[in-house]
Amino acid sequence: MDRRRIPGPEASVKPIIERADDEDTQHVAPLKTIDDIRQDGRSLDKIRKAWLAPGIITQANGSAYIEFQGTKVACAVYGPRATKISAFSGKGSLNCEIKFAPFSCQKRRSPQRDPQEKELSHLLFEALAPAVRLDLLPKSTIDVFVTILQNDGNGSCLAASITAASVALADAGIEMLDQVAACSACYIDDEIWIDCTLREEEHAQGSLVLSYMSSLNEITHMLQSGEISVSGTIRTIEQCTEACSKIYSIMGNCLLESVRRKLEKDNTLGGLNKKEG
Amino acid sequence: MPVLISPAEREYIINGVDHNIRADGRGRLDYRQIVIETGLIPQASGSARCRLGEGTDVLVGVNVEVGQVDMEGDDEVIRERKSKRGRVICNVECSPIASQQFAGRGAEDFNNELTQTLDRVLNGPQGGLNLEKLCIIPGAECWVVNIDALILDYAGNLLDMVFITTRAALHNTKVPKTIITKTEDGLEFDFSDDMEDAERIEGWENVPIAVTLSKIGSRHIVDATPLEELTVDARLLVAVNKNGKICGVQKGGSGSIEPSLLNEMIQTGGTIGQHVIQKLDEQLEREEKETSKKIVRNESVGKLGFFAAI
Repeated sequence: MDRRRIPGPEASVKPIIERADDEDTQHVAPLKTIDDIRQDGRSLDKIRKAWLAPGIITQANGSAYIEFQGTKVACAVYGPRATKISAFSGKGSLNCEIKFAPFSCQKRRSPQRDPQEKELSHLLFEALAPAVRLDLLPKSTIDVFVTILQNDGNGSCLAASITAASVALADAGIEMLDQVAACSACYIDDEIWIDCTLREEEHAQGSLVLSYMSSLNEITHMLQSGEISVSGTIRTIEQCTEACSKIYSIMGNCLLESVRRKLEKDNTLGGLNKKEG
Repeated sequence: MPVLISPAEREYIINGVDHNIRADGRGRLDYRQIVIETGLIPQASGSARCRLGEGTDVLVGVNVEVGQVDMEGDDEVIRERKSKRGRVICNVECSPIASQQFAGRGAEDFNNELTQTLDRVLNGPQGGLNLEKLCIIPGAECWVVNIDALILDYAGNLLDMVFITTRAALHNTKVPKTIITKTEDGLEFDFSDDMEDAERIEGWENVPIAVTLSKIGSRHIVDATPLEELTVDARLLVAVNKNGKICGVQKGGSGSIEPSLLNEMIQTGGTIGQHVIQKLDEQLEREEKETSKKIVRNESVGKLGFFAAI
Protein backbone atom coordinates (compact mmCIF):
# COMPACT_ATOMS: atom_id res chain seq x y z
CA MET A 1 0.00 0.00 0.00
CA ASP A 2 1.18 3.49 -0.78
CA ARG A 3 1.56 5.24 2.57
CA ARG A 4 2.23 8.61 0.99
CA ARG A 5 -1.21 8.74 -0.52
CA ILE A 6 -3.46 6.81 1.80
CA PRO A 7 -3.18 7.87 5.42
CA GLY A 8 -5.85 5.43 6.52
CA PRO A 9 -5.65 2.07 8.28
CA GLU A 10 -4.36 -0.86 6.25
CA ALA A 11 -7.58 -2.84 6.32
CA SER A 12 -11.06 -1.43 6.36
CA VAL A 13 -14.57 -2.78 6.09
CA LYS A 14 -17.73 -1.30 4.70
CA PRO A 15 -20.16 -0.27 7.42
CA ILE A 16 -23.25 -2.41 7.66
CA ILE A 17 -26.20 -0.17 7.03
CA GLU A 18 -29.50 -1.45 8.23
CA ARG A 19 -32.04 -1.35 5.52
CA ALA A 20 -35.46 0.15 5.98
CA ASP A 21 -38.25 -2.40 5.63
CA ASP A 22 -39.50 -1.25 2.24
CA GLU A 23 -35.96 -1.25 0.90
CA ASP A 24 -35.49 -4.76 2.19
CA THR A 25 -38.41 -6.08 0.19
CA GLN A 26 -36.98 -4.40 -2.88
CA HIS A 27 -33.68 -6.10 -2.19
CA VAL A 28 -35.07 -9.57 -2.53
CA ALA A 29 -37.42 -8.57 -5.34
CA PRO A 30 -37.05 -10.75 -8.42
CA LEU A 31 -34.93 -9.44 -11.28
CA LYS A 32 -37.90 -9.38 -13.63
CA THR A 33 -41.66 -9.72 -13.63
CA ILE A 34 -43.52 -12.56 -15.30
CA ASP A 35 -43.95 -10.58 -18.51
CA ASP A 36 -40.18 -10.03 -18.74
CA ILE A 37 -40.09 -6.46 -17.49
CA ARG A 38 -36.93 -5.70 -15.55
CA GLN A 39 -36.72 -3.72 -12.33
CA ASP A 40 -35.94 -0.52 -14.17
CA GLY A 41 -38.93 -1.00 -16.45
CA ARG A 42 -37.32 -2.16 -19.68
CA SER A 43 -37.66 -5.47 -21.49
CA LEU A 44 -34.80 -7.98 -21.78
CA ASP A 45 -33.61 -6.84 -25.21
CA LYS A 46 -33.57 -3.09 -24.49
CA ILE A 47 -30.54 -1.04 -23.56
CA ARG A 48 -30.70 1.44 -20.72
CA LYS A 49 -31.41 5.09 -21.46
CA ALA A 50 -28.22 6.48 -22.93
CA TRP A 51 -26.86 10.00 -22.77
CA LEU A 52 -23.91 10.90 -24.92
CA ALA A 53 -22.05 14.19 -25.29
CA PRO A 54 -18.92 14.77 -27.35
CA GLY A 55 -16.46 17.58 -26.62
CA ILE A 56 -16.92 18.09 -22.91
CA ILE A 57 -13.28 18.37 -21.87
CA THR A 58 -11.81 21.70 -22.99
CA GLN A 59 -8.14 20.74 -22.83
CA ALA A 60 -8.40 17.56 -24.88
CA ASN A 61 -8.24 17.32 -28.67
CA GLY A 62 -11.37 15.23 -28.51
CA SER A 63 -13.55 13.97 -25.70
CA ALA A 64 -16.84 12.30 -24.92
CA TYR A 65 -19.02 11.53 -21.96
CA ILE A 66 -21.44 8.62 -21.93
CA GLU A 67 -24.03 7.50 -19.46
CA PHE A 68 -26.10 4.34 -19.34
CA GLN A 69 -28.05 5.29 -16.23
CA GLY A 70 -25.76 3.92 -13.50
CA THR A 71 -22.71 3.52 -15.71
CA LYS A 72 -20.92 6.80 -16.31
CA VAL A 73 -17.76 7.08 -18.33
CA ALA A 74 -15.67 10.04 -19.50
CA CYS A 75 -13.05 9.77 -22.21
CA ALA A 76 -10.43 12.16 -23.57
CA VAL A 77 -8.22 11.81 -26.62
CA TYR A 78 -4.88 13.62 -26.88
CA GLY A 79 -2.72 13.64 -29.96
CA PRO A 80 -1.56 12.55 -32.41
CA ARG A 81 1.84 13.44 -31.03
CA ALA A 82 5.37 12.29 -31.86
CA THR A 83 6.22 8.90 -30.39
CA LYS A 84 8.84 9.23 -27.67
CA ILE A 85 10.69 6.00 -28.42
CA SER A 86 13.21 6.50 -31.19
CA ALA A 87 12.53 3.22 -33.04
CA PHE A 88 10.81 3.88 -36.35
CA SER A 89 7.32 2.60 -36.86
CA GLY A 90 5.42 2.94 -40.09
CA LYS A 91 2.17 2.68 -38.20
CA GLY A 92 1.00 4.97 -35.47
CA SER A 93 0.40 3.57 -32.03
CA LEU A 94 -2.74 3.82 -30.00
CA ASN A 95 -2.18 4.13 -26.28
CA CYS A 96 -5.32 3.26 -24.34
CA GLU A 97 -5.76 3.60 -20.62
CA ILE A 98 -8.84 2.77 -18.58
CA LYS A 99 -8.99 3.96 -14.99
CA PHE A 100 -11.67 3.36 -12.41
CA ALA A 101 -12.23 6.35 -10.15
CA PRO A 102 -11.56 5.26 -6.54
CA PHE A 103 -15.21 5.91 -5.69
CA SER A 104 -16.67 4.26 -8.80
CA CYS A 105 -17.34 0.80 -7.35
CA GLN A 106 -19.01 -0.49 -4.25
CA LYS A 107 -15.62 -1.21 -2.76
CA ARG A 108 -13.01 1.54 -2.94
CA ARG A 109 -10.51 1.00 -5.71
CA SER A 110 -6.88 1.81 -5.22
CA PRO A 111 -5.65 4.84 -7.17
CA GLN A 112 -2.84 2.67 -8.50
CA ARG A 113 -3.35 0.75 -11.69
CA ASP A 114 -4.47 -2.81 -10.95
CA PRO A 115 -4.26 -5.85 -13.26
CA GLN A 116 -7.94 -5.59 -14.22
CA GLU A 117 -7.50 -2.03 -15.43
CA LYS A 118 -4.43 -3.05 -17.40
CA GLU A 119 -6.36 -5.82 -19.09
CA LEU A 120 -9.38 -3.60 -19.82
CA SER A 121 -7.00 -1.07 -21.37
CA HIS A 122 -5.66 -3.78 -23.62
CA LEU A 123 -9.17 -4.88 -24.59
CA LEU A 124 -10.05 -1.27 -25.40
CA PHE A 125 -7.04 -1.08 -27.69
CA GLU A 126 -8.04 -4.29 -29.47
CA ALA A 127 -11.57 -3.01 -29.96
CA LEU A 128 -10.53 0.37 -31.37
CA ALA A 129 -7.46 -0.61 -33.40
CA PRO A 130 -9.39 -2.06 -36.39
CA ALA A 131 -11.26 1.23 -36.85
CA VAL A 132 -8.49 3.82 -36.51
CA ARG A 133 -6.38 4.56 -39.61
CA LEU A 134 -3.08 4.10 -37.80
CA ASP A 135 -1.34 3.54 -41.14
CA LEU A 136 -1.80 7.26 -41.88
CA LEU A 137 0.06 8.29 -38.76
CA PRO A 138 3.63 6.96 -38.85
CA LYS A 139 5.91 7.80 -35.92
CA SER A 140 2.96 9.14 -33.90
CA THR A 141 0.99 8.16 -30.86
CA ILE A 142 -2.61 8.81 -29.97
CA ASP A 143 -3.49 8.75 -26.28
CA VAL A 144 -6.94 7.59 -25.23
CA PHE A 145 -7.71 8.07 -21.55
CA VAL A 146 -10.91 6.69 -20.09
CA THR A 147 -12.10 7.34 -16.56
CA ILE A 148 -14.98 5.30 -15.23
CA LEU A 149 -16.85 7.55 -12.84
CA GLN A 150 -19.56 5.15 -11.84
CA ASN A 151 -19.77 1.42 -12.37
CA ASP A 152 -23.13 -0.26 -12.77
CA GLY A 153 -22.20 -3.47 -14.52
CA ASN A 154 -18.65 -4.52 -15.40
CA GLY A 155 -19.64 -5.52 -18.92
CA SER A 156 -21.41 -2.25 -19.54
CA CYS A 157 -18.35 -0.34 -18.27
CA LEU A 158 -16.16 -1.85 -20.94
CA ALA A 159 -18.85 -1.37 -23.59
CA ALA A 160 -19.40 2.26 -22.58
CA SER A 161 -15.64 2.87 -22.59
CA ILE A 162 -15.33 1.56 -26.14
CA THR A 163 -18.29 3.61 -27.36
CA ALA A 164 -17.08 6.79 -25.62
CA ALA A 165 -13.52 6.35 -26.91
CA SER A 166 -14.78 5.93 -30.45
CA VAL A 167 -16.82 9.13 -30.25
CA ALA A 168 -13.91 10.99 -28.64
CA LEU A 169 -11.58 9.86 -31.44
CA ALA A 170 -14.05 11.18 -34.01
CA ASP A 171 -14.39 14.38 -32.02
CA ALA A 172 -10.61 14.77 -32.15
CA GLY A 173 -10.80 14.56 -35.94
CA ILE A 174 -8.76 11.37 -36.18
CA GLU A 175 -9.40 9.47 -39.37
CA MET A 176 -11.34 6.26 -38.82
CA LEU A 177 -12.88 3.61 -41.03
CA ASP A 178 -16.08 3.55 -39.01
CA GLN A 179 -17.44 4.26 -35.56
CA VAL A 180 -17.22 1.41 -33.06
CA ALA A 181 -20.33 0.82 -30.97
CA ALA A 182 -20.22 -1.68 -28.12
CA CYS A 183 -22.85 -3.49 -26.12
CA SER A 184 -22.89 -6.01 -23.28
CA ALA A 185 -25.21 -8.90 -22.53
CA CYS A 186 -25.64 -11.54 -19.83
CA TYR A 187 -27.12 -15.03 -19.73
CA ILE A 188 -29.47 -15.41 -16.80
CA ASP A 189 -31.45 -18.66 -16.61
CA ASP A 190 -31.01 -19.46 -20.30
CA GLU A 191 -32.22 -16.05 -21.40
CA ILE A 192 -30.27 -13.24 -22.99
CA TRP A 193 -30.37 -9.95 -21.13
CA ILE A 194 -28.97 -6.93 -22.92
CA ASP A 195 -27.02 -4.24 -21.04
CA CYS A 196 -27.14 -5.61 -17.49
CA THR A 197 -26.82 -3.67 -14.26
CA LEU A 198 -24.43 -4.75 -11.53
CA ARG A 199 -27.18 -6.50 -9.62
CA GLU A 200 -28.34 -8.45 -12.65
CA GLU A 201 -24.73 -9.31 -13.44
CA GLU A 202 -24.26 -10.96 -10.05
CA HIS A 203 -26.93 -13.49 -10.98
CA ALA A 204 -25.57 -14.14 -14.45
CA GLN A 205 -24.18 -17.47 -15.59
CA GLY A 206 -22.20 -15.80 -18.34
CA SER A 207 -21.63 -12.56 -20.15
CA LEU A 208 -20.68 -11.10 -23.49
CA VAL A 209 -19.20 -7.79 -24.58
CA LEU A 210 -19.29 -7.13 -28.29
CA SER A 211 -18.07 -4.16 -30.30
CA TYR A 212 -19.25 -3.70 -33.83
CA MET A 213 -18.77 -1.38 -36.79
CA SER A 214 -22.25 -1.07 -38.26
CA SER A 215 -21.55 0.40 -41.69
CA LEU A 216 -18.67 -1.98 -42.40
CA ASN A 217 -20.46 -4.95 -40.82
CA GLU A 218 -17.34 -6.04 -38.94
CA ILE A 219 -16.96 -7.16 -35.35
CA THR A 220 -13.95 -5.47 -33.76
CA HIS A 221 -14.03 -7.20 -30.41
CA MET A 222 -15.73 -9.99 -28.59
CA LEU A 223 -15.31 -11.21 -25.04
CA GLN A 224 -17.51 -13.99 -23.77
CA SER A 225 -17.53 -16.02 -20.58
CA GLY A 226 -19.91 -18.60 -19.20
CA GLU A 227 -20.98 -21.99 -20.48
CA ILE A 228 -23.34 -21.83 -23.44
CA SER A 229 -24.02 -23.82 -26.60
CA VAL A 230 -22.62 -22.79 -29.97
CA SER A 231 -26.06 -21.82 -31.28
CA GLY A 232 -26.73 -19.80 -28.12
CA THR A 233 -23.49 -17.88 -28.62
CA ILE A 234 -24.41 -17.08 -32.21
CA ARG A 235 -27.88 -15.90 -31.15
CA THR A 236 -26.37 -13.60 -28.51
CA ILE A 237 -23.95 -12.16 -31.05
CA GLU A 238 -26.90 -11.35 -33.30
CA GLN A 239 -28.83 -9.64 -30.49
CA CYS A 240 -25.77 -7.66 -29.48
CA THR A 241 -25.03 -6.49 -33.01
CA GLU A 242 -28.63 -5.27 -33.21
CA ALA A 243 -28.24 -3.31 -29.99
CA CYS A 244 -24.89 -1.98 -31.23
CA SER A 245 -26.59 -0.66 -34.36
CA LYS A 246 -29.00 1.29 -32.14
CA ILE A 247 -26.12 2.77 -30.15
CA TYR A 248 -24.36 3.50 -33.44
CA SER A 249 -27.23 5.71 -34.60
CA ILE A 250 -27.16 7.60 -31.29
CA MET A 251 -23.42 8.15 -31.74
CA GLY A 252 -23.89 9.44 -35.28
CA ASN A 253 -26.63 11.87 -34.24
CA CYS A 254 -24.62 13.20 -31.32
CA LEU A 255 -21.54 13.78 -33.43
CA LEU A 256 -23.55 15.56 -36.15
CA GLU A 257 -25.22 17.70 -33.54
CA SER A 258 -21.90 18.66 -31.97
CA VAL A 259 -20.38 19.59 -35.33
CA ARG A 260 -23.43 21.71 -36.13
CA ARG A 261 -23.14 23.46 -32.78
CA LYS A 262 -19.44 24.11 -33.35
CA LEU A 263 -20.12 25.60 -36.78
CA GLU A 264 -22.86 27.84 -35.43
CA LYS A 265 -20.57 29.06 -32.71
CA ASP A 266 -17.85 29.80 -35.26
CA ASN A 267 -20.36 31.66 -37.43
CA THR A 268 -21.58 33.88 -34.63
CA LEU A 269 -18.02 34.63 -33.60
CA GLY A 270 -17.05 35.24 -37.19
CA GLY A 271 -14.25 32.70 -36.78
CA LEU A 272 -11.82 31.56 -39.44
CA ASN A 273 -13.64 28.29 -39.92
CA LYS A 274 -16.68 30.08 -41.28
CA LYS A 275 -18.45 27.90 -43.79
CA GLU A 276 -21.10 28.93 -46.25
CA GLY A 277 -24.40 27.08 -46.52
CA MET B 1 10.77 -15.33 -31.33
CA PRO B 2 10.77 -13.24 -34.50
CA VAL B 3 9.41 -9.70 -34.33
CA LEU B 4 9.32 -8.64 -37.94
CA ILE B 5 8.16 -10.32 -41.12
CA SER B 6 8.96 -9.36 -44.70
CA PRO B 7 6.15 -8.64 -47.18
CA ALA B 8 7.27 -11.62 -49.29
CA GLU B 9 7.05 -14.01 -46.36
CA ARG B 10 3.67 -12.62 -45.44
CA GLU B 11 2.41 -13.10 -48.99
CA TYR B 12 3.76 -16.67 -49.02
CA ILE B 13 1.93 -17.55 -45.81
CA ILE B 14 -1.35 -15.96 -46.92
CA ASN B 15 -1.30 -17.77 -50.29
CA GLY B 16 -0.39 -21.05 -48.62
CA VAL B 17 -3.28 -20.77 -46.17
CA ASP B 18 -5.60 -19.99 -49.05
CA HIS B 19 -4.52 -23.25 -50.75
CA ASN B 20 -4.87 -25.20 -47.50
CA ILE B 21 -1.17 -25.97 -47.24
CA ARG B 22 1.14 -24.38 -44.70
CA ALA B 23 4.94 -24.05 -44.60
CA ASP B 24 5.33 -27.19 -42.46
CA GLY B 25 2.95 -29.24 -44.62
CA ARG B 26 -0.07 -28.98 -42.37
CA GLY B 27 -3.58 -28.13 -43.50
CA ARG B 28 -5.51 -25.18 -42.07
CA LEU B 29 -7.07 -27.10 -39.20
CA ASP B 30 -4.19 -29.40 -38.23
CA TYR B 31 -2.36 -29.26 -34.93
CA ARG B 32 1.31 -30.02 -34.51
CA GLN B 33 2.20 -33.04 -32.41
CA ILE B 34 1.67 -32.59 -28.70
CA VAL B 35 3.73 -34.50 -26.13
CA ILE B 36 2.34 -34.65 -22.62
CA GLU B 37 3.72 -35.80 -19.28
CA THR B 38 2.08 -35.62 -15.88
CA GLY B 39 3.21 -35.81 -12.26
CA LEU B 40 6.68 -34.36 -12.75
CA ILE B 41 6.90 -32.11 -9.73
CA PRO B 42 6.82 -33.95 -6.39
CA GLN B 43 6.34 -30.73 -4.38
CA ALA B 44 3.14 -29.83 -6.21
CA SER B 45 -0.27 -31.41 -5.67
CA GLY B 46 -0.44 -31.98 -9.39
CA SER B 47 1.63 -31.10 -12.41
CA ALA B 48 1.88 -31.55 -16.15
CA ARG B 49 4.14 -30.52 -18.96
CA CYS B 50 3.24 -30.20 -22.62
CA ARG B 51 5.48 -29.72 -25.59
CA LEU B 52 4.05 -28.71 -28.92
CA GLY B 53 5.92 -29.67 -32.07
CA GLU B 54 9.47 -28.36 -32.01
CA GLY B 55 8.81 -25.59 -29.57
CA THR B 56 6.25 -24.27 -27.11
CA ASP B 57 6.87 -25.86 -23.75
CA VAL B 58 4.48 -25.26 -20.89
CA LEU B 59 4.86 -26.55 -17.35
CA VAL B 60 1.90 -26.26 -15.00
CA GLY B 61 2.03 -26.90 -11.28
CA VAL B 62 -1.11 -27.04 -9.17
CA ASN B 63 -0.83 -26.43 -5.44
CA VAL B 64 -3.79 -26.82 -3.13
CA GLU B 65 -3.70 -25.12 0.23
CA VAL B 66 -6.13 -24.18 2.97
CA GLY B 67 -7.39 -20.62 2.83
CA GLN B 68 -10.29 -18.39 3.78
CA VAL B 69 -13.49 -18.36 1.78
CA ASP B 70 -14.34 -15.28 -0.24
CA MET B 71 -17.18 -13.39 1.44
CA GLU B 72 -17.41 -10.29 -0.72
CA GLY B 73 -20.45 -9.05 -2.56
CA ASP B 74 -23.43 -6.90 -1.81
CA ASP B 75 -26.17 -9.39 -2.35
CA GLU B 76 -27.00 -11.69 0.56
CA VAL B 77 -27.73 -14.60 -1.79
CA ILE B 78 -24.42 -14.21 -3.60
CA ARG B 79 -22.44 -13.94 -0.34
CA GLU B 80 -24.15 -17.06 0.96
CA ARG B 81 -23.28 -18.93 -2.22
CA LYS B 82 -19.66 -17.73 -2.13
CA SER B 83 -19.16 -18.73 1.51
CA LYS B 84 -19.67 -22.37 0.58
CA ARG B 85 -17.08 -22.45 -2.17
CA GLY B 86 -13.41 -23.09 -2.68
CA ARG B 87 -11.30 -20.77 -4.74
CA VAL B 88 -9.17 -20.97 -7.86
CA ILE B 89 -6.21 -18.65 -8.46
CA CYS B 90 -4.42 -18.62 -11.79
CA ASN B 91 -1.03 -17.28 -12.74
CA VAL B 92 0.87 -17.50 -16.01
CA GLU B 93 4.48 -16.53 -16.27
CA CYS B 94 6.74 -16.44 -19.29
CA SER B 95 10.21 -17.43 -18.27
CA PRO B 96 13.02 -15.35 -19.80
CA ILE B 97 14.66 -18.58 -20.94
CA ALA B 98 11.91 -18.92 -23.56
CA SER B 99 12.61 -15.65 -25.30
CA GLN B 100 14.62 -12.51 -24.76
CA GLN B 101 11.40 -10.54 -24.96
CA PHE B 102 10.20 -12.11 -21.74
CA ALA B 103 13.13 -10.68 -19.79
CA GLY B 104 12.69 -7.84 -17.33
CA ARG B 105 9.55 -5.75 -17.34
CA GLY B 106 8.76 -6.49 -20.97
CA ALA B 107 6.85 -9.62 -20.06
CA GLU B 108 4.66 -8.02 -17.41
CA ASP B 109 1.81 -6.91 -19.65
CA PHE B 110 1.95 -10.14 -21.61
CA ASN B 111 1.89 -12.25 -18.43
CA ASN B 112 -1.02 -10.23 -17.14
CA GLU B 113 -2.94 -10.73 -20.36
CA LEU B 114 -2.41 -14.50 -20.29
CA THR B 115 -3.27 -14.71 -16.59
CA GLN B 116 -6.50 -12.77 -17.00
CA THR B 117 -7.58 -14.95 -19.91
CA LEU B 118 -6.92 -18.19 -18.02
CA ASP B 119 -8.55 -16.78 -14.92
CA ARG B 120 -11.67 -15.64 -16.75
CA VAL B 121 -12.28 -19.10 -18.19
CA LEU B 122 -11.45 -21.15 -15.09
CA ASN B 123 -13.02 -18.86 -12.51
CA GLY B 124 -16.75 -18.87 -12.87
CA PRO B 125 -19.57 -21.31 -13.45
CA GLN B 126 -18.02 -22.47 -16.74
CA GLY B 127 -14.70 -23.40 -15.09
CA GLY B 128 -15.85 -26.97 -14.50
CA LEU B 129 -14.34 -27.63 -11.08
CA ASN B 130 -16.86 -28.38 -8.38
CA LEU B 131 -16.05 -25.54 -6.03
CA GLU B 132 -18.64 -26.57 -3.44
CA LYS B 133 -16.68 -29.78 -2.89
CA LEU B 134 -13.57 -27.72 -2.17
CA CYS B 135 -15.19 -26.00 0.79
CA ILE B 136 -14.05 -27.44 4.13
CA ILE B 137 -16.04 -25.42 6.68
CA PRO B 138 -18.72 -23.18 5.16
CA GLY B 139 -18.13 -19.51 5.89
CA ALA B 140 -14.60 -20.12 7.11
CA GLU B 141 -12.07 -22.45 5.51
CA CYS B 142 -11.78 -23.85 2.02
CA TRP B 143 -9.24 -25.29 -0.36
CA VAL B 144 -7.52 -22.76 -2.60
CA VAL B 145 -6.36 -24.21 -5.90
CA ASN B 146 -3.32 -22.34 -7.17
CA ILE B 147 -2.66 -22.94 -10.85
CA ASP B 148 0.77 -21.74 -11.93
CA ALA B 149 1.82 -22.03 -15.54
CA LEU B 150 5.38 -21.48 -16.61
CA ILE B 151 6.34 -20.99 -20.25
CA LEU B 152 9.73 -22.58 -20.88
CA ASP B 153 9.97 -22.41 -24.65
CA TYR B 154 8.07 -20.59 -27.35
CA ALA B 155 6.98 -21.64 -30.83
CA GLY B 156 3.56 -20.10 -31.16
CA ASN B 157 0.10 -21.02 -29.91
CA LEU B 158 0.83 -20.35 -26.25
CA LEU B 159 -2.67 -20.05 -24.86
CA ASP B 160 -3.95 -23.34 -26.29
CA MET B 161 -1.04 -25.11 -24.67
CA VAL B 162 -1.54 -23.36 -21.34
CA PHE B 163 -5.14 -24.57 -21.27
CA ILE B 164 -4.33 -28.13 -22.34
CA THR B 165 -1.53 -28.42 -19.77
CA THR B 166 -3.75 -26.96 -17.06
CA ARG B 167 -6.39 -29.58 -17.74
CA ALA B 168 -3.76 -32.33 -17.59
CA ALA B 169 -2.34 -30.92 -14.35
CA LEU B 170 -5.79 -30.77 -12.76
CA HIS B 171 -6.31 -34.40 -13.76
CA ASN B 172 -3.10 -35.17 -11.93
CA THR B 173 -4.01 -33.13 -8.82
CA LYS B 174 -4.88 -34.90 -5.59
CA VAL B 175 -6.46 -33.11 -2.64
CA PRO B 176 -5.87 -34.58 0.84
CA LYS B 177 -8.97 -35.90 2.56
CA THR B 178 -10.24 -33.77 5.42
CA ILE B 179 -11.94 -35.10 8.52
CA ILE B 180 -14.31 -32.64 10.16
CA THR B 181 -14.96 -32.95 13.87
CA LYS B 182 -17.45 -31.09 16.01
CA THR B 183 -16.04 -29.48 19.13
CA GLU B 184 -17.43 -27.01 21.63
CA ASP B 185 -16.04 -24.08 19.67
CA GLY B 186 -17.67 -25.20 16.46
CA LEU B 187 -16.25 -27.20 13.61
CA GLU B 188 -12.64 -28.27 13.31
CA PHE B 189 -10.87 -30.23 10.68
CA ASP B 190 -7.86 -32.43 10.26
CA PHE B 191 -6.12 -34.02 7.27
CA SER B 192 -5.90 -37.68 6.62
CA ASP B 193 -2.22 -38.68 6.57
CA ASP B 194 -2.72 -41.50 4.13
CA MET B 195 -2.02 -40.27 0.60
CA GLU B 196 -4.09 -43.19 -0.69
CA ASP B 197 -7.12 -41.30 0.62
CA ALA B 198 -6.33 -38.19 -1.42
CA GLU B 199 -8.95 -37.53 -4.01
CA ARG B 200 -9.02 -35.91 -7.40
CA ILE B 201 -10.82 -32.55 -7.58
CA GLU B 202 -14.37 -33.28 -8.58
CA GLY B 203 -15.30 -31.88 -11.95
CA TRP B 204 -11.80 -31.87 -13.47
CA GLU B 205 -13.28 -33.54 -16.57
CA ASN B 206 -15.42 -30.46 -17.17
CA VAL B 207 -12.46 -28.10 -17.24
CA PRO B 208 -12.47 -26.36 -20.61
CA ILE B 209 -9.56 -26.05 -23.00
CA ALA B 210 -9.06 -23.30 -25.56
CA VAL B 211 -8.60 -23.29 -29.30
CA THR B 212 -7.09 -20.19 -30.86
CA LEU B 213 -8.23 -19.56 -34.40
CA SER B 214 -6.14 -17.11 -36.36
CA LYS B 215 -7.61 -15.19 -39.24
CA ILE B 216 -5.19 -15.07 -42.17
CA GLY B 217 -6.54 -13.41 -45.30
CA SER B 218 -10.18 -14.45 -45.41
CA ARG B 219 -9.55 -17.89 -43.88
CA HIS B 220 -8.75 -19.13 -40.43
CA ILE B 221 -6.18 -21.60 -39.09
CA VAL B 222 -5.44 -23.34 -35.80
CA ASP B 223 -2.09 -23.71 -34.04
CA ALA B 224 -0.21 -20.85 -35.69
CA THR B 225 3.59 -20.81 -35.73
CA PRO B 226 5.42 -17.61 -34.68
CA LEU B 227 5.79 -16.51 -38.30
CA GLU B 228 2.12 -17.13 -38.97
CA GLU B 229 1.23 -15.20 -35.82
CA LEU B 230 2.95 -12.15 -37.30
CA THR B 231 0.73 -12.39 -40.37
CA VAL B 232 -2.45 -12.61 -38.31
CA ASP B 233 -4.47 -9.47 -37.79
CA ALA B 234 -7.28 -10.95 -35.73
CA ARG B 235 -7.47 -14.10 -33.67
CA LEU B 236 -10.24 -15.69 -31.70
CA LEU B 237 -9.79 -17.75 -28.58
CA VAL B 238 -12.65 -20.22 -28.14
CA ALA B 239 -12.82 -22.11 -24.84
CA VAL B 240 -14.72 -25.40 -25.06
CA ASN B 241 -15.55 -28.16 -22.58
CA LYS B 242 -15.95 -31.85 -23.25
CA ASN B 243 -19.65 -31.49 -24.09
CA GLY B 244 -18.82 -29.08 -26.88
CA LYS B 245 -20.29 -26.13 -24.97
CA ILE B 246 -18.64 -22.77 -25.45
CA CYS B 247 -17.05 -21.57 -22.18
CA GLY B 248 -15.52 -18.33 -23.33
CA VAL B 249 -14.65 -16.39 -26.45
CA GLN B 250 -12.14 -13.63 -26.73
CA LYS B 251 -10.95 -11.73 -29.74
CA GLY B 252 -7.32 -10.72 -29.89
CA GLY B 253 -5.09 -8.77 -32.23
CA SER B 254 -5.77 -5.48 -33.94
CA GLY B 255 -8.04 -6.61 -36.80
CA SER B 256 -11.77 -7.09 -37.10
CA ILE B 257 -13.89 -10.09 -38.09
CA GLU B 258 -17.03 -10.25 -40.17
CA PRO B 259 -20.06 -11.67 -38.26
CA SER B 260 -20.55 -14.69 -40.57
CA LEU B 261 -16.86 -15.60 -40.35
CA LEU B 262 -17.01 -15.14 -36.58
CA ASN B 263 -19.88 -17.63 -36.35
CA GLU B 264 -17.99 -20.09 -38.50
CA MET B 265 -14.87 -19.70 -36.35
CA ILE B 266 -16.81 -20.33 -33.15
CA GLN B 267 -18.34 -23.45 -34.67
CA THR B 268 -14.96 -24.77 -35.86
CA GLY B 269 -13.44 -23.99 -32.47
CA GLY B 270 -16.19 -25.96 -30.77
CA THR B 271 -15.72 -29.12 -32.82
CA ILE B 272 -11.92 -29.03 -32.77
CA GLY B 273 -11.81 -28.36 -29.03
CA GLN B 274 -14.03 -31.33 -28.27
CA HIS B 275 -11.81 -33.54 -30.40
CA VAL B 276 -8.63 -32.34 -28.66
CA ILE B 277 -10.16 -33.00 -25.23
CA GLN B 278 -11.04 -36.53 -26.30
CA LYS B 279 -7.46 -37.21 -27.45
CA LEU B 280 -6.04 -35.61 -24.31
CA ASP B 281 -8.19 -37.71 -22.00
CA GLU B 282 -7.20 -40.92 -23.78
CA GLN B 283 -3.53 -40.04 -23.32
CA LEU B 284 -4.00 -39.09 -19.66
CA GLU B 285 -5.71 -42.39 -18.96
CA ARG B 286 -2.93 -44.32 -20.70
CA GLU B 287 -0.28 -42.52 -18.70
CA GLU B 288 -2.11 -43.08 -15.44
CA LYS B 289 -2.32 -46.81 -16.11
CA GLU B 290 1.41 -46.97 -16.82
CA THR B 291 2.25 -45.18 -13.60
CA SER B 292 0.06 -47.43 -11.50
CA LYS B 293 1.66 -50.47 -13.14
CA LYS B 294 5.09 -49.12 -12.19
CA ILE B 295 3.97 -48.62 -8.61
CA VAL B 296 2.73 -52.22 -8.44
CA ARG B 297 6.09 -53.46 -9.74
CA ASN B 298 7.80 -51.19 -7.19
CA GLU B 299 9.69 -49.33 -9.90
CA SER B 300 10.68 -45.70 -9.66
CA VAL B 301 7.94 -43.38 -10.97
CA GLY B 302 10.20 -40.34 -10.99
CA LYS B 303 11.24 -38.98 -14.34
CA LEU B 304 14.79 -38.39 -15.36
CA GLY B 305 15.84 -35.32 -17.29
CA PHE B 306 12.28 -34.39 -18.05
CA PHE B 307 13.01 -31.08 -19.68
CA ALA B 308 15.32 -32.66 -22.23
CA ALA B 309 12.92 -35.47 -23.09
CA ILE B 310 10.78 -34.72 -26.09
